[in-house]
Amino acid sequence: MGIIGTAGERQHTHPPERADDLADMELPDQDGAEHRLGDYWKDAPAVLVWLRHYG
Amino acid sequence: MQLYRERGAFEKEGAQLVLIGQATPRHAAHFRRRQGIDLTVLADEKRRSYKAAGAKVATLNELVGPKVMAKGLISSMRSRQPQGRTIGHPAQLGGTMIIGRDGSVAWSHMSEDASDNATPEEIVAALRGI
Repeated sequence: MGIIGTAGERQHTHPPERADDLADMELPDQDGAEHRLGDYWKDAPAVLVWLRHYG
Repeated sequence: MQLYRERGAFEKEGAQLVLIGQATPRHAAHFRRRQGIDLTVLADEKRRSYKAAGAKVATLNELVGPKVMAKGLISSMRSRQPQGRTIGHPAQLGGTMIIGRDGSVAWSHMSEDASDNATPEEIVAALRGI
């Protein structure tokens, strides 16, 4: 681990082929209400964006 | 934020945009107000979904190297919005993923460095291909 939490060595991204592990995760929204991720693509495709930061 | 502004193009292709950040609900609420976003913003303080999505943690060069800083400056100038204060793990990178109704990951673009982001055009083209 480097300074400010940086990786000491270059990492590789490894997106999964299926979102099964993501589907059952529940995350709170801005009001604290829990959302099950899999519900977002239950009826239609979803574009999920993981923000680097709330900047 | 550019992807939010272009969300209509994703909806036209039948997909909804979901934003996930790596902080608390309070931070997510502040982010929505600051950016003028009326979309739900999810908060993943422990970064569990980042790990499950295969996002990586940047090296110092991937975070603040010359190429990254130059692209970030150009991006800020284009959007006319300076980058805000970093909340959460400073070296955690993000990414974009299109997930189909069957749970398959139809397309993904996980960031290789802090300046590497999928464009709305790339996302729309990917949606048209699934």
